[in-house]
Amino acid sequence: MKRRSFVAAAAALPAVSILSGTARAQSKEIRMIESGGASGDSIQKGYIDPLFKKTGIKVVRESPSSLGKLRALVESGQTSTTLFELGSGIVLQAKKLGLIEKVDWAAVNPAAMFPEAKNEYGFGYQYFSTIMAWRKGVKEPQNFTEFFDSKAFPGKRCLPDYPHYCLPFALQATGVPIDKLFPLDVDTAFKKLNEVKKDVAVWWKAGAQPPQLMKDNEVQYSICWSGRVVGDPAFGVNFAGGKSDLSFIAVVKGSKPEDKAAAWKLFYEMSLAENQAKAAEVISYTGPSPELDALLPKDKLWQFPTSKQNKAVQYFENAEWWAENGEAVNKKWEAFKLSL
Amino acid sequence: MSDIRLEGVTKRYGTFAAADSVDLSVTQGEFVTILGPSGSGKTTLLSLISGLNRPTAGRIFIGGRDVTNATAQERNIGLVFQSYALFPHMTVLENVLFPLGVRKIGGAEANRLARDALKLVRLDGLEERRPSQLSGGQQQRVALARAIVFKPDILLLDEPLGALDRKLREELQVELKQLQRTLGVTTLLVTHDQEEALSLSDRIMVLDKGRTQQVAAPTEAYLRPANRFVAEFLGIANFVGLPDGGQGLVRPERVRLSANGAANGSGKPAKVVEAIYLGQMVRYHLALEGAQSIVAAVPFLGTAHAPGEQVMVSWDSADIWPVT
Amino acid sequence: MRTAGRPAPRGPEDDDAMTRSNGFSFIAPLLVLMVVAFNAPIVYMLGLAFWEKGRGFTLEHYEGLAETPVYLRVLGNTMRIALIATIANVVIGYPLAHWMRSLGSRARMFAIALVVLPFWVSILVRTYAWIVVLGNGGLVNRFLQWSGLTDEPVSFLYNELGVTIGMANVLLPFLVLPLFAAMVRIDDRLLQAAASLGAPPRTIFWKVYFPLTLPALAAGALLVFILCLGFYVTPAVLGGGRVPMISNLLDTLINQIPRWEQASAISTILLIVTLLIFAAYRRLDRKASA
Repeated sequence: MKRRSFVAAAAALPAVSILSGTARAQSKEIRMIESGGASGDSIQKGYIDPLFKKTGIKVVRESPSSLGKLRALVESGQTSTTLFELGSGIVLQAKKLGLIEKVDWAAVNPAAMFPEAKNEYGFGYQYFSTIMAWRKGVKEPQNFTEFFDSKAFPGKRCLPDYPHYCLPFALQATGVPIDKLFPLDVDTAFKKLNEVKKDVAVWWKAGAQPPQLMKDNEVQYSICWSGRVVGDPAFGVNFAGGKSDLSFIAVVKGSKPEDKAAAWKLFYEMSLAENQAKAAEVISYTGPSPELDALLPKDKLWQFPTSKQNKAVQYFENAEWWAENGEAVNKKWEAFKLSL
Repeated sequence: MSDIRLEGVTKRYGTFAAADSVDLSVTQGEFVTILGPSGSGKTTLLSLISGLNRPTAGRIFIGGRDVTNATAQERNIGLVFQSYALFPHMTVLENVLFPLGVRKIGGAEANRLARDALKLVRLDGLEERRPSQLSGGQQQRVALARAIVFKPDILLLDEPLGALDRKLREELQVELKQLQRTLGVTTLLVTHDQEEALSLSDRIMVLDKGRTQQVAAPTEAYLRPANRFVAEFLGIANFVGLPDGGQGLVRPERVRLSANGAANGSGKPAKVVEAIYLGQMVRYHLALEGAQSIVAAVPFLGTAHAPGEQVMVSWDSADIWPVT
Repeated sequence: MRTAGRPAPRGPEDDDAMTRSNGFSFIAPLLVLMVVAFNAPIVYMLGLAFWEKGRGFTLEHYEGLAETPVYLRVLGNTMRIALIATIANVVIGYPLAHWMRSLGSRARMFAIALVVLPFWVSILVRTYAWIVVLGNGGLVNRFLQWSGLTDEPVSFLYNELGVTIGMANVLLPFLVLPLFAAMVRIDDRLLQAAASLGAPPRTIFWKVYFPLTLPALAAGALLVFILCLGFYVTPAVLGGGRVPMISNLLDTLINQIPRWEQASAISTILLIVTLLIFAAYRRLDRKASA
């Protein structure tokens, strides 16, 4: 990665020096830090390639993205990276810390988008779901009450090592419906987790862990990212009670105007349903266009986070609540982890 | 205190015999030196006696007890290495206390014994030093004190003075001899230094290629060597032809020199090749007729023959020792 | 304190001082680079907890830490795991190094290569390899069940045992190599001398051999312990997230929340604890070699 970024930086040098004379022009090459993996490939195929074909603007990708990295970029005053991928909660924190720029939506002039994706400070480009999944052959839970009931559904569990994933699911197991989850009853959620923690073999940090652990039969039930499990015949999945979330691409604070101009062009490409359909071929996550469903293959609609049948049974991440309460909850989370 | 007896002691490494049927008998309180060139098997022999090594064949007795298969721990031997082998993490006193601790001697008794041993090797006052803070000679004395403090049955010394410079070596030779006499401990010394062997020992054992060449008192071995190897290894040897066709040894100090044509001139004419002044002696390298060379050592009495000078050399027939 | 009239001697110390200052001028650029590239960021990081933009000096992040004992408990847990892993390392590493010393030169080279081999494999790969070996359906459990020793698979992974095994595996070379080097340096004649003085093998080991290896053992164990404190991948993967370590917590505070100031305060405490341990070791070491 180091090597790649160095090569990219070296390649960017002549482009910058040529263009610095023409202040109004947009850059021919900008850099983006995204989360990597198949998701990064989907950005390439769905948005970056079409942009290059139309305008000749190159977008160089680098990964992974983390808030710490963004903060370091801004505090060091660098301007070489323009675009940065952030989770929905992180966008709020980055905004609070003054790490990202406002999006000039007038300049982007996007096609139709779901409103929550058209954020003042970022382009919500990818819906992804966090759902329950199991190894084929075990009893199949219909909701999170059943998922956490290890008597009726025996087997080891694998849960995310992140409070903002675990707590709302645990709360659902106590009977709270998805539209009443927030403000989150943290203590009740922890109480539930304390009841079930003995059945949890692994608390995962990396999204690749749960599917592998289910394949190795180390665990039988997992909460994992939908893109990692849907369509794999080894697993059963259920979107019921799942969490729908949105990933954003934001513009790094202090970016040069010509780089921003190039970024708005990319945002426009990202708003087009046909491009989003291309991205969805690479990974089963979906873009923010209301017209997208029509372009997706009918037999695979059940796999996508935003298809009608799935969107209705999931709750949407409450980034505001987490931005307020995240740190306090995290302290409780660490205490909980010590009790394992 | 005990005697040592070796009977046919042999140590083979594959087909190579480092010690080959060695017999030796050392009486109680005796100081015997094993002398030989490097690779002659003398250190092997010492390691067999000390128990660090086991013989392939033969038997070893210490104080009448068969110790052939006993471990080093069981033999009660004081062993001193050329490399001192002091424990670097212990003080001088702790080093000397070590064999006492092993023997469950502790407290004031051990302290007294250790300090006595250190006094005996003239190291009192240095008890708290570390070995690394001592000179080579001091370190070897610590090793000696450590080897005698527990009153070993025998004392084995493996080239103990080899790493020291000449002056210190000569000093310590005297001390070693005195110490051995004081303690009366049966002692075996290994060395390749013939002077050391001659000056220290009651008897010497000359070893070559793992085989005993001669066991005798130093003067005996010097003047009446058992064979040519011993003759050549101990000091300088002149070989002269005997009437019966054999060869005889004449030591340099037995060769007489006289000026060519002097009234009492007799013997054979020779030319001085080299004259080396050794203080009280002059050593001449002489060429006889027929290219035979002779070494003569004569007292220096103010004048000497110069190289190139013609002289007459002679010796008494009584000073010739036939060798094979 | 130089007395007048007596010229200052130009002894070997003066020559030493000269070469030292010459040497310094050679390494000065490197030293500057080191300070700028390594030390300055550390100072900046440590300063974060004390100094806030526009607000000046503050101790609130340390107060915050005192009010949140859970972070300190994670630190304590990290030390405990590090200690367990270090002990496991010593228990495995010491006999291993001792055994290597007894080998012939060819076998020794081979053994060293085997010990060093893990260095050539990515830590991530090695960590995942343990899942194949120790998992419920892994080699060891399959053997145990096949041989009838157990009916149920034994849980080697996703607990402190798994973390300890994984960390010991990764860190073993750091202990074994310096220890082995120290053991090889011990002159066999010291051990022979001890034997000739009447010491039984056990006494030779504990009174002569072990004390001579102790400085290397202490240094190696300290190195392993300090490296353990910073472990991230192994506890996360082999601990199944059940073994909270300080580096995982720091990752959360830096990359997710982000509370760099709090992270800085914790890091400072970690650094101080590490330095204290190091200082204690140095003191012991100096006492031992005094």
